[in-house]
Amino acid sequence: MTGFRDRARREIAEEHRSAALLPIMRKLVADSRAMLARGPADARDRAAAARADAVDRLEELQRRLREQLALRGVGYHRAATAAEAVDIVRRLLGDARRVAKSKSMVAEEIGLTHALREAGIDVLETDIGEYIVDLEGRGPSHITAPAVHLNRARIRDLLARAGAPLETDDPVVLSQHIRDVVGRYFQDCDAAITGANTAIASSGRFAIVENEGNVALGVSHPRKHIIVTGLEKVVADEAGALAILQVLAPSATAQPLTAFTHILGSPPPGQERHVVVVDNGRSRILADPRYRDVLRCIRCGACMNACPVYRAVSGLAYGSPYMGPIGAVISPLLWPRGGQADLPFASTLCGACTEACPVGIPLHRMLLDLRADAVERGAVAGRAERAAWKAWAAAFSLPTGARAAAAMARLGLRGGGRLVRPLAARGADPRLLPEPAEPHDPALLAAAGPDRSERPVIAPEEVLPPTPVERFRLRAGQLGVGFPAAAPASALELSAAAAVASTGSVLLTGAPVDRRALLAAPAVALRVDPATVVEYPAGLEPYLGADDALILTGPSRTADIEKVIVRGIHGSQEYAVLLEPPIA
Amino acid sequence: MASVALFDPCYLQTLRPGDAGDARRVLEALGDTVTLIDGRCCGQPAFNSGFRTEARTVGRQLLKAARAHSAIVTTSGSCTAMVRHYLPGLWQPPRDAAAASIAARFVDFATYVARHPALDRLGLRLPGVVVLHESCHSRRELHASAAFSAILSRIDGLEVREPAFAEECCGFGGTFAVKQPETSVEIMRAKLDALGATGARVVVSPDYSCLAHLQSGAAGLGIQLEAWTLPELLARALA
Repeated sequence: MTGFRDRARREIAEEHRSAALLPIMRKLVADSRAMLARGPADARDRAAAARADAVDRLEELQRRLREQLALRGVGYHRAATAAEAVDIVRRLLGDARRVAKSKSMVAEEIGLTHALREAGIDVLETDIGEYIVDLEGRGPSHITAPAVHLNRARIRDLLARAGAPLETDDPVVLSQHIRDVVGRYFQDCDAAITGANTAIASSGRFAIVENEGNVALGVSHPRKHIIVTGLEKVVADEAGALAILQVLAPSATAQPLTAFTHILGSPPPGQERHVVVVDNGRSRILADPRYRDVLRCIRCGACMNACPVYRAVSGLAYGSPYMGPIGAVISPLLWPRGGQADLPFASTLCGACTEACPVGIPLHRMLLDLRADAVERGAVAGRAERAAWKAWAAAFSLPTGARAAAAMARLGLRGGGRLVRPLAARGADPRLLPEPAEPHDPALLAAAGPDRSERPVIAPEEVLPPTPVERFRLRAGQLGVGFPAAAPASALELSAAAAVASTGSVLLTGAPVDRRALLAAPAVALRVDPATVVEYPAGLEPYLGADDALILTGPSRTADIEKVIVRGIHGSQEYAVLLEPPIA
Repeated sequence: MASVALFDPCYLQTLRPGDAGDARRVLEALGDTVTLIDGRCCGQPAFNSGFRTEARTVGRQLLKAARAHSAIVTTSGSCTAMVRHYLPGLWQPPRDAAAASIAARFVDFATYVARHPALDRLGLRLPGVVVLHESCHSRRELHASAAFSAILSRIDGLEVREPAFAEECCGFGGTFAVKQPETSVEIMRAKLDALGATGARVVVSPDYSCLAHLQSGAAGLGIQLEAWTLPELLARALA
């Protein structure tokens, strides 16, 4: 059986992964921190509180959600296992033969795409990153950036082998090609499957975030939309959902909010909508006080972005749909007999994950508990290692332990390490343990050269304009939104319910919002009343209405190829805001 | 002045036998009376490997040796974090309370020295340049960053450089360095690059565990970088 170490070794040797991943993740972590700092000071605490509350009242909130969904005519289906979830989706799909699927971690977890294809259903991954890793066939390497382990040349090569030779490997060209394939598929498919970032118990609505617009096309499918979501992804109310949204995009991709934040109300006329709520071990996790807080997770990926191990080996080394620190915690919990007991050991315990987590999950402490569980269960550590630890403990328990212990430790450090690891690694490991008591050379203190460190450039603190509407204008402008005096010709004109200063977002409400018209329009003009501009996303709560809503934060975009931002995926790049009445 | 215990952690005793002597010299220069606790281990290697029974057996001996002391100065941030945050949890209530009351008296060397009332009277001088590497446990579990920097800034003539991405792990991680050598080395390379780029040839850390790992990497890769502990640096600055 291959374990983490074998996979990690392969990833490191094969492409020298970290050379590419390290700078990407360093930048992402710095940008995420800056983006979080732009939000309210208590954003993380409020998100953590909303998630902690949801975990505490999980079944109560699920009952409430079910009642509310019944009022909206949305089917609620609970699946105890992965197999049951797949069966329910197949039954709900009925005679659908062509299915457009959006990104969903729980769908990865239950192997949905594979299972549906086995059943003869044509499934297209419509997220650009998912489309790419589907071609590669090794699965996603990151929760929010599935293809981050592949460079543009490799992606072009994968597309060529799939019958689409492209002139260049420019991420714009590659992204637009996939966008076009996906767009055509959406014109002629029988159903759409999406995930959900959170289900709102009090109103029976779903919050779903995305950048490309494929989810917008999916949730507005004229006939059938199926949502697959984890049992834990419920939250009490709109305030809780907004608290989560305030930290989700900044933590995941260093964006203020994603291009689209769908607050799905009742289904559009003619559409049949269902939600499949997947347990698959979550109730068992909930029952264990040591691990239940891992159910707070909002799948942002901040823990892996910050993780030195993840950066060195990439997500594929984890051998699980969930990678990085969160993967090392939930994989063995979801699949106790799945051969992933070694994942909690794939950590230096540096604590960067716990520090990065926006909902306060003590990830590195859980890794420690999982290590103890694995040893106790006999899932890791052979007879030799067990005997070694016993001998070690005995040596340090001697009344005159000093000499014996020092000898043991010395033996352990110098020899033991080499004994337990396979011989193959010897040549590859350059480390040479220093001789004890080797005298240090004070002359080295004076031998320093100039400091040539390449430090990340820290942008000077912005001076923000004094009024909310001016701040809105600044932030929206940074996302590529124009502020013309009049609506551009042929623009679809819509009136906004509110706007957000800190994120440059605009809120649309309706029953429902016509997403397909929005994406089909050559340009979009949004009328915003300056009196409705709130500071932070949390301030949108009173404006959300009772039914369908959509928060737009700049035009659609993707960064699925080498984290290069490509604007204008599904839908127009041209977004204009008309301030009415205009500000002086 | 104060009477303190000095805990010389097992791996330091093995890999850097002079370190306890350096720490003692610094504490005595501050006017303290020092009792050495050696031959003991906080249990961290076993604890981090999932062997909690063994960790408790070993940790119990350390707590016994520490019981009579009101302050136990520990020259390793990682061991201090283990004792303070994790060791008491290895006993069931109510026995964990007794362990916790002893564990709470452990203090890392940097924090102890930085708070010492006699620090102002200590003359410290050592011309040269060092780069600092703060261990993750010292930074995130003990929040001792400020103490570490404050002490270094008191040394006359010493230029302290900070590497880029200072908050990143060095790849040691205890038994991780042995069980996942390829990944450990991959992470270490990035840290050595960042340390080397500062131009300094001496790296100082409140944790010799990171330092031993970095030193062994530097030695193997032919990089001129020497790892000094905080007590060693301060002892030299006293002279």
